[in-house]
Amino acid sequence: MKGIVFVELVRMAESALGEDVVDEILDETELETDGAFSVVGNYPCRELLTIVEAIGARVKVPVEDLHEQFGQWMFARFVESYPVFFEGKTDGFDMLESIEDEVHVEVRKLYPEVELPSFTTERLSVDQFKMVYDSERPLQHFCKGMIQSCMEHFQQEVDLQMVDRSQGGRFTAEFTLQKAA
Amino acid sequence: MFLRDDLAAPTETVSRRRYNRQMRAREEAEHLLEAKSRELYEANQRLQKLLDTLETAVKERTQELEEARVVAESANEAKSVFLATMSHEIRTPLNGILGMAQALRDSGLSEDQGQLVQILQDSGGLLLSLINDVLDISKIEAGKLEFEAIPYDLRQLGDAMLQHFRLRAEEKGLAFHVSLSEAAQATIRADPMRLQQVAGNLLSNAIKFTDIGSVSLHIDLRETLAGGSVLVLRVKDTGRGISRSQQPRLFQRFSQANASITRMHGGTGLGLAISRHICELTGGSIKLRSEEGQGAEFQANLLVEKAQSHDDAPGHIAEGDQAASLAGLRILAAEDNRTNQIVLKHMLKKAGPPKLTIVDDGEKAVQEWQRGRYDMILMDINMPVMDGMEATRRIRELEHENMLEPIPIIAVSANAMVHQVAGYLNGGMTGHVPKPISRDKLVGAMKTALAKCQRGLD
Repeated sequence: MKGIVFVELVRMAESALGEDVVDEILDETELETDGAFSVVGNYPCRELLTIVEAIGARVKVPVEDLHEQFGQWMFARFVESYPVFFEGKTDGFDMLESIEDEVHVEVRKLYPEVELPSFTTERLSVDQFKMVYDSERPLQHFCKGMIQSCMEHFQQEVDLQMVDRSQGGRFTAEFTLQKAA
Repeated sequence: MFLRDDLAAPTETVSRRRYNRQMRAREEAEHLLEAKSRELYEANQRLQKLLDTLETAVKERTQELEEARVVAESANEAKSVFLATMSHEIRTPLNGILGMAQALRDSGLSEDQGQLVQILQDSGGLLLSLINDVLDISKIEAGKLEFEAIPYDLRQLGDAMLQHFRLRAEEKGLAFHVSLSEAAQATIRADPMRLQQVAGNLLSNAIKFTDIGSVSLHIDLRETLAGGSVLVLRVKDTGRGISRSQQPRLFQRFSQANASITRMHGGTGLGLAISRHICELTGGSIKLRSEEGQGAEFQANLLVEKAQSHDDAPGHIAEGDQAASLAGLRILAAEDNRTNQIVLKHMLKKAGPPKLTIVDDGEKAVQEWQRGRYDMILMDINMPVMDGMEATRRIRELEHENMLEPIPIIAVSANAMVHQVAGYLNGGMTGHVPKPISRDKLVGAMKTALAKCQRGLD
């Protein structure tokens, strides 16, 4: 997994808990990397999951909620760093549709070795949108956080339902978005 | 928010553990970036090498193309030179054949003999027109077809066509008409030879392919929207017509409607191709309207210049007038070819006759001119010892030094392209007659040159 994700996770934790608390968490946690991350490096995904678990234990918050919050944090980073992907998009559904065919295409050009989740989307009606997350990594809640921020970014009020269909080491989640009346 | 922002208060100092973590992350990043930078450098080197190879390949290919172009151009040049040379070489003996045939006819033959000589003349004339066609098409291909723009009375075009084709049409039992619109009864500036060529080609075809009925030529002169003039030559026949499927091929060179036509009627199949090119080179076009079995109508449109106010087309001169005016003239001819000398003698015998002295190179011509008293010089161009151009230059120089009246000098040469003729006139010559010599043209040119010199060289 790209180093940027780890660096941002630590940054988010530091902004909320302070450097000292984050240092303590990292020191107490068993990590291959010892918690040393750089943007240009690549690290195992399980290190990310371990750190999130450790933070959850420390602040007594369910890891799913922390993943969701991290998803929102990362979306903000995304808006900041890659405005080009937002050009010409009129609403959040447009944006979600473009992840698979535009955003991921560009990511693969830069990092040919990258493993990306797949997103299938479907417009059920004018107001209803379905998106299915599928990956070998359990980041469906992180994904949920990103979807929420995306809708907020386009000032679109939606009712977001998530159905977790993960099984046998494969992580799948079905998101249904219904525009608020 | 599960993680509260207000707790994020940075401390003044950092722990050793944090420092070590940051150091480790930094070292790792530096290591990765170093490797990336080396990869980039190597990739760049490979690209540079590829670029060099490509540049070399492009250079080599450009060089090859350039060489191929030079080879192709020189081959084409060689073809043009060959054609020009051959045409000149063939014209010279043809001059002998046609000239002698004319001389034979003038020598008082029996009717049977006269017919034989007529065939000889006709065949020679046909051969000459074939050579001219091949030469024309090669000039067209080389982009070297030249046009004169001299005053020309369209009534003369009508007369010439009538004179030329009436007999041929009558022999086939066809009615033959030439008509001019009111606008066409005028003088224009154009190349008379080319206009006659187009009209002649169309009429010759029409008569050839019409067995019953009539052939007609209508000449019209129209204004274009741009204020120019279009000469319209419309040739109609009542012949077999040309099917639509055969029409597109008709104007291509070496092409006739079908192969059996070639066997029955002969011809090179160049006439219509040449006519089309002549029309197009003036900015005009040639069109055909025909249905199989219903006759054909060809319309040639040629852009011509309007005559200027001082243009006065030379009128047709009757043969009798020419003969009378040449009687007793003292003429010096420089001609190295024995056959051509005889041709000249016989041609002039009936036209006067004048007193003719013949020398066989340019130097002798200059000497003879200085020694005797002459009214006119007929000057061949290609001669041994001194060519006709040089001899003319010497004579004009001597005239100037000794304040003598300029003598008319007529170039007699098979090199009859427009720029060559212009070269003769710029080189001090008074006129030009192309070989093979026709008596009408020779006598006409001699008379015109005399008139010119009486007015003073212009």
